[in-house]
Amino acid sequence: MVHYLIVCRSLTHAQRTAHLLERAGIAGSVIRAPKVISKEGCGYCVRVAERKLTDALMVLRREGMAPRQVFLQSAEGVYSEVPA
Amino acid sequence: MIYLDSAATTLEKPRSVPAAAAWAMTRMASPGRGGHPASVLAADTMYRCRELAAELFGVDDPEQVILTSNATHGLNIAIHSLVRPGAAVLISGYEHNAVTRPLYARPDVKVKIAAGPLFDGDGVYEVFRRELTAEVDVVICNHVSNVFGFVQPVERIAALCKERGVPLIVDASQSAGVLPVDMKQWGAAFVAMPGHKGLYGPQGTGLLLCGAETRPLLCGGTGSQSRRQEMPDFLPDRLEAGTQNVCGAVGLLAGMRFVKEKGIGRIHAYEIRLAGRLMDRLSAIPGVTVYRGADQSGVCSVTVDRMDCEEVGAALGRRGVAVRAGLHCSPLAHRTAGTEESGTVRFSVSAFNTAWQMDRAAEIVRQIVTQGKGAR
Repeated sequence: MVHYLIVCRSLTHAQRTAHLLERAGIAGSVIRAPKVISKEGCGYCVRVAERKLTDALMVLRREGMAPRQVFLQSAEGVYSEVPA
Repeated sequence: MIYLDSAATTLEKPRSVPAAAAWAMTRMASPGRGGHPASVLAADTMYRCRELAAELFGVDDPEQVILTSNATHGLNIAIHSLVRPGAAVLISGYEHNAVTRPLYARPDVKVKIAAGPLFDGDGVYEVFRRELTAEVDVVICNHVSNVFGFVQPVERIAALCKERGVPLIVDASQSAGVLPVDMKQWGAAFVAMPGHKGLYGPQGTGLLLCGAETRPLLCGGTGSQSRRQEMPDFLPDRLEAGTQNVCGAVGLLAGMRFVKEKGIGRIHAYEIRLAGRLMDRLSAIPGVTVYRGADQSGVCSVTVDRMDCEEVGAALGRRGVAVRAGLHCSPLAHRTAGTEESGTVRFSVSAFNTAWQMDRAAEIVRQIVTQGKGAR
């Protein structure tokens, strides 16, 4: 499965992001950011399904919470940054 | 026991509060310190606590809600953030040591006191209007006096601060859960409150609502940006170093749910009714002076002729009535009201007290006063 990871500055920020998405009908789960994408150490992100990213970014921009980074997680577990 | 010391701590809690705190003790780990279910459960509950606090107290973003150990902790962070050495701070005449001591401890801070008359909101506002001069950097005011239950005109003082561009710190220790507290409407820089009084949470909990730039009082692990040695520059992590009081926060969440369900307006109306009943009965006792006014919450103070307030408090305690006597950690409030030498005996109610308890407590006061020194 391919997923997108919306990188968040903190756990609380990730929780808020997930709640906003949930209210908009977009499922997102808060997970610890994989170490390879968490350059400053101990980060959090919200994982959303591949087909939901566009809607998710629209909701977050509308709420003034546009993410700084988004990563694509391939089926093989490889992460690549995509434009946020 | 008739417990009338809720201005210190509400002792009787909704049943859900101790149950939730005990449940969390063995099921919730540290939020933000792991991805396992026990950590996630704790994190989720902490977030719900912030979210409900934001809803109850007019905060846009749950990230602005900081979980503290008590109101004193929150006030210290607020003062540390805004009051720099050499600053001039204007405070009300009814502030607690939680405000005056941190100010006293800061070097070269000039403290101006807006000592308005007791139970005279217009008078207090006028003093603030006069004393809020160009030299003032920060204003600090409590919403309700912990000694007299005097509801200060915080809305008007907040508007004045906004108009003059001076940040305001509000101590909502006696009002959170009892009176409307609206961070956004006030435009306050910070609002601090305890969790263990009107929000019915456990001791060791509190909230700080942040609307201004912050400076951490405590540095350490936050579960975020671990490689960096500076504290994170975002809330709540910036102000929440170290393992948090998860059990306390879970209890506080249960307490706030009780307040929301019951309704702040209803709680306030009930407490006012109880306190009014108590004051009516105490006022009828010869030798008892009741400090009573129009703008008053469910807290009241009394003095008894020719009896030391501590003797009265102790005599009440022996007869099963829990009150607090003395200066209530607020010598400034007593100085402003003219009771610094005598101190007072303070009665304070909660949503769990009853009318019968008011009558009984007043009757016991009558017995103590009638018997005088023989009661000891």
